[in-house]
Amino acid sequence: MTQPDPHPIGFCASSFWPHVVACLLVGVTAVLLCFGAMVTTYDAAMAVPDWPATYGHNMFLYPLADWFYGPWDLFLEHGHRLLGAAAGLLTMALVGVAWWGEQRRLVRGLVAAAFLLVVVQGVLGGARVLLDDRTIAKVHACTGPLFFAVTIAIATLTSRWQGNATSQPSDSLALRRLSALLLVSAYVQLVAGAQLRHLDAAIDPLTFRMLVVLHVAGAALVTGLSMAVCACAWGQQFMPALSSRCVAAGEERSSRVSGATPAIWATVILLLVLCQIALGAGAWIVSWGIPAGWFGDSLVAWIPTEPIVARSVQSAAIVTGHVVVGMLILGVSVVLAIASGSLEGLEDSFGQRSEAHA
Amino acid sequence: MLATPMHLAHHVLALPIQSANCLTAIGRQVSRLAFLLLSTLVLASVIGCGATPPAYFRHNMVESTKQRLNSDQERQVATVLLAMFGTPDHPVALAETGLDESKLHLAAGPVRSDIVGRKNGLYREHCAHCHGITGDGLGPTAAFLNPYPRDYRPGVFKFKSTERADKPTQADLVRILHNGIAGTSMPSFALLSETKIEALAEYVKYLTIRGETELALIRAFFELDDDAKGTLPETREFLVEETLAPIAAKWQAAPAAAIPVPPIPTNIDLVASIAKGRELFYGDKANCVKCHGVTGLGDGQANDYDDWNKVIVEADKEIRSGTEQASQASTAGMSPEQLADHRLQLVWLEKFHQVLDGDALTPRTIPPRNLRQGIYRGGRRPLDLYYRIYAGINGAPMPAAKGTVPPEDIWHIVNYVRSLPYEFDGLLGADRPMVAPDRF
Repeated sequence: MTQPDPHPIGFCASSFWPHVVACLLVGVTAVLLCFGAMVTTYDAAMAVPDWPATYGHNMFLYPLADWFYGPWDLFLEHGHRLLGAAAGLLTMALVGVAWWGEQRRLVRGLVAAAFLLVVVQGVLGGARVLLDDRTIAKVHACTGPLFFAVTIAIATLTSRWQGNATSQPSDSLALRRLSALLLVSAYVQLVAGAQLRHLDAAIDPLTFRMLVVLHVAGAALVTGLSMAVCACAWGQQFMPALSSRCVAAGEERSSRVSGATPAIWATVILLLVLCQIALGAGAWIVSWGIPAGWFGDSLVAWIPTEPIVARSVQSAAIVTGHVVVGMLILGVSVVLAIASGSLEGLEDSFGQRSEAHA
Repeated sequence: MLATPMHLAHHVLALPIQSANCLTAIGRQVSRLAFLLLSTLVLASVIGCGATPPAYFRHNMVESTKQRLNSDQERQVATVLLAMFGTPDHPVALAETGLDESKLHLAAGPVRSDIVGRKNGLYREHCAHCHGITGDGLGPTAAFLNPYPRDYRPGVFKFKSTERADKPTQADLVRILHNGIAGTSMPSFALLSETKIEALAEYVKYLTIRGETELALIRAFFELDDDAKGTLPETREFLVEETLAPIAAKWQAAPAAAIPVPPIPTNIDLVASIAKGRELFYGDKANCVKCHGVTGLGDGQANDYDDWNKVIVEADKEIRSGTEQASQASTAGMSPEQLADHRLQLVWLEKFHQVLDGDALTPRTIPPRNLRQGIYRGGRRPLDLYYRIYAGINGAPMPAAKGTVPPEDIWHIVNYVRSLPYEFDGLLGADRPMVAPDRF
């Protein structure tokens, strides 16, 4: 009988190049998502009416001066396309280095998923332009964060830190479950937000109201989960007795060491969520005004409001910041899920599948 | 070995195993609850991903139902409007409207750039989520706002430089778009180019003329004689010359209807002018105190509606009284014709009720302005305040001082109103001198 691997998702020396490429990909994807968010904020998706060409030029050969000094919408949309192409090329490079230098099936599977997602995302982006369809834009906005989450997972799993410091999965079943739930909730909340961001004026008001309720409920869920995860992670840190598997003194010590990282990540998430709530309220106000319809007339008369300047840098920063912080919450949730051992089950299933194939 | 803070915290905070098991159980329950909520969230998100509905002009169902139009007649109105005004994506402007089609095309349609990189679809980008595709003030975000976004279709505008019953000038619309409306959700579009703001103002006029024409056509059924058999005459004479042209003519006549503004009196200093304005504010002629209150906080008469909400309130009253009458009517002694009429009435009441539920927002009263905030919706220039006081606010209970207060004296009221946000707080106390005791 073989002994189970004590480091099921640990670092190995051959992960160096996959890790470097994955980190580059995470960086490019982060900028790409910021550009994508700006494109939606300024409603600039149709600034370039053709695809994959840009006003008849090959995308990569479009005159630099025309792009840089052209209309703002064109700058955003063409920049988004160039960054998308860069992300696609980096993903292909990642496939190459992971194929030759990475043995773990989970990481290979994630790299394959990243490749699939980047291809789908490119096609969706093109279809959104060619068909001028906001529904496709919504799907495009949902696939982007998913790709980002996958790239972060790859970068985390291939890191030396992940291999050495937190290879011991969390002892707390509750923390593992809550982390996984928080990860999924953060993503679903981005999906719900994408529905509101790509609002079509022709939408039925009742559907809009339902989407608002949904997004607010999602915010409450993510806030609640992030607080629960934070409490659970710090509880595990200071009270290892919470863990049902923690019996022997030696195990207690290892649990404390591995528990520190989830607690820090959970705290970061909680802080980001609090920031996100403020940004969300601000994004609503700069987009659609103070929701004074919720208040009585007597209260409304006392709200002194100066007109908000539409399309100002401040309002664009608030709205785009709300999306970007949402992405950050998702990204850190991925790291937390890995650090707390939520992917353990996934790793096992990959392993079992490979054994079955063998 | 020195104890680390974590060790210390562990020893201090360590709980008995029983408590730990209890907390773990709570964690599981939280997980299950969160999973249920998450499933609901996912399902609902999928609903939001549904196909985008095509943009179309909504029929004015409230007026149409009020005038008891049948579905054939509603279709006839829609067909005529389609021929005269086109669609939200492809607007048409007949020469009689005086509208510039090139500006309309810049503002209409979906948001996209044309072949020279010029952005089209400005109305849908900036306005439609509140004012609606049709300009009926029923955009998806409308219900969240207070005051509600303007419904252009009756052709009534509040803040303008023309007489109360007249249309605003192009410059008035541009000014509102440029400055926004303080105290409401209407933002300032000062960062848009002049061309874009002009295009938006033109499109607002287009939606208004279309809405007014629709109202005129709906009401025209009421005046048809028996020979017409419930069908509108589809002649150019009726549709364009008798219906559209008079509406468009009012818009074209707007610049000539500008309010005459006398020069600001120079033979009186500001303090004396403010004192005189205060006298007028509390006096019988201007009687501003009736609504704006003795304190100027807008706490006077506050149970009135503006014209847009009044339509809904009256429709609601009509439904209530009709339902009451119908429920009290006995069908026992009715002839077949009366019975048929009774059933038709019940069907109509049910339809009207559904229309109000779906095509109208819950009516809200319009509170008088709190003049001590220094926020003036129609603009903060003295000239803007002069216009508001002289001509009143069209569509709102604010009456015109024209005819009761001499134009020169209106400047004194303007000066007093402008001083109210800075008036010493002590004047709000019991010793307040300006309140005539015999009036309150």
